[in-house]
Amino acid sequence: MKRLGLERRKMLAGYVYIAPWLVGFVLFMVYPLVYSLWISFHDVEGVGSFRLKYVGFLNYKHAFVLDPQFVPLFFSVIQDTVINTPLIIVFSLIIAILLNRNMKGRAFFRAAFFLPVLIGSGMVLQQLLYAGVGQKTLVNGIGLPQSAFLYMGPTFSQMVFDLLSRLTLIFWKTGVQILLFLAGLQGISPSLYESSKCDGATEWEMFWKITLPLISPVILLNLVYTLVDSFTDVTNRIMLYIRNVGFVKIELGYAAALGWMYFAFIFALIVIVFAASKRLIFYSGER
Amino acid sequence: MKAAPQSHRLLRFMRLGLSRLTSRSRWFGFLYRIFVYFLLIDLSFVFLYPFIYMVTTSLKTPPDLLDFTIKWIPTSMAWQNYAYGIVGLKYGEHFWNSAQTSAFSVIGQVLACSFVAYGFARIKFPGRETLFMLAMFTLLVPPQTVIIPLFIQYKAMGWMDTFAPIVVPSFFAGGLRGALFIFIFRQLFRNLPWELEDAARVDGCGSFRVYWKIIMPLTTPAVVVTVLLSLVWHWNDYFEPNIYLTSQDKYTLPMMLPRLYESLNETSATHGMETFGLPTVMAATFLVIAPLLLVYLFLQKYFIQGVERTGLVE
Repeated sequence: MKRLGLERRKMLAGYVYIAPWLVGFVLFMVYPLVYSLWISFHDVEGVGSFRLKYVGFLNYKHAFVLDPQFVPLFFSVIQDTVINTPLIIVFSLIIAILLNRNMKGRAFFRAAFFLPVLIGSGMVLQQLLYAGVGQKTLVNGIGLPQSAFLYMGPTFSQMVFDLLSRLTLIFWKTGVQILLFLAGLQGISPSLYESSKCDGATEWEMFWKITLPLISPVILLNLVYTLVDSFTDVTNRIMLYIRNVGFVKIELGYAAALGWMYFAFIFALIVIVFAASKRLIFYSGER
Repeated sequence: MKAAPQSHRLLRFMRLGLSRLTSRSRWFGFLYRIFVYFLLIDLSFVFLYPFIYMVTTSLKTPPDLLDFTIKWIPTSMAWQNYAYGIVGLKYGEHFWNSAQTSAFSVIGQVLACSFVAYGFARIKFPGRETLFMLAMFTLLVPPQTVIIPLFIQYKAMGWMDTFAPIVVPSFFAGGLRGALFIFIFRQLFRNLPWELEDAARVDGCGSFRVYWKIIMPLTTPAVVVTVLLSLVWHWNDYFEPNIYLTSQDKYTLPMMLPRLYESLNETSATHGMETFGLPTVMAATFLVIAPLLLVYLFLQKYFIQGVERTGLVE
């Protein structure tokens, strides 16, 4: 009897520990989510007095049928993410592999590659982009002479500029991913490489046969992190649009509907990623 | 008998070939290493560029700015740009606002997320996995989806134009990516040996004392990672403060940057020299992230080790 009480007390302790999170979760997450779902089926009239009129799925229909901006913006954000995410993963993996060797200045390089994370994606980055840093970085980085652009003609040089500034922004977003990959690479036992070297494997083969399978869980982690990071980034265009609808046009019901559709999309996407990754991820040992 | 010299010759030939091959691969290795260094230096330039640009531009005088032969080193150090930046941002006042919101959020997240993670990692109770999944699921919710109800809620609670909407959720293991920090602490806690706890319990330690006196001192890597990421994200956050803080004396530092930019544009537009404000803007921008740079400088070594030691990627 007393033993059972002890077990139960221990279980209760578990709930005590997660209680702060649970309270916060209900107050600052579940309640607002449900409330915004509820608003999304209504038309909000008058911000001060707040009268709600039930309109059914009208707000959702509005997004696809009447709103000329939402669907194109939505697709452009998806397009950006589909292009950026693989590049971020590939770049950060390459940089992490380069950083993972024993060499002089390793500490410096590791510290340097994380620095752009400090800039974030908010106002500081905006100021830098206004100043045109995004375009200048890679032009200076590659050492492309300014005169080269004179020969390209205006449209083509503009294209090159856009491409370079886009690549720069992608590079600056790899900080956290590089660190995670580095941590993953540290976890691979060196004896694996040594024994395969004895068997005559080249570096290239070792990458495909050892590094990549063993790092695949980190790739999944980074993939999810990158996707969530880019879709929930408050500076992405669809987020700015929803904010604009809610706080400038004050169409609260419509903004809630847009927010919910966007959320449902992210949720579905992450579920698909996890489901699809089950076969591709190699887990060593038991899980 | 006859085959002996033949095989001997073959052996010598093979040895020769092998040595030639290894010497070639040594050359190749050397070149490869130089190539890697070159690549890393070039790449790190891309990552350092915004900072180099900020600092060099912020020290330029208007003539230096227009002179395109001057790329990096200005002819004279225009420190006055920093003075303009400090005045334009009202640095003293708004630094405090930023420091308060960020510091309290960081403290809240370190305490609350480690506490909650201890429950998720070390105590078995029904529904634990489901609840943990739910916690992770909060990371997927875009801030825009919940901002309107939260706005109404905070207004009703009288929290508008205070730091409470930014700081208080952190103490409930929420706030900016609170769930991520729960995850980080949980990963570390799970890898700690159980014997630690058993020994303390035999000595009559309660679970809270185990958490606070035994487990927490071992979590320095996770604390460093959480402190730095949480600080960076809260310090740079613009979205939430911009919605919840309405009076200008409550503004955080990043919120002052667009104000400065606009006021400079107005004054320079009347004088017809739009770009001359750029050094001041860059000085101000640098001033905004300088505290983060300083903190990163001190924590950087522990931070990068920390990511490896928390077992974040296992």
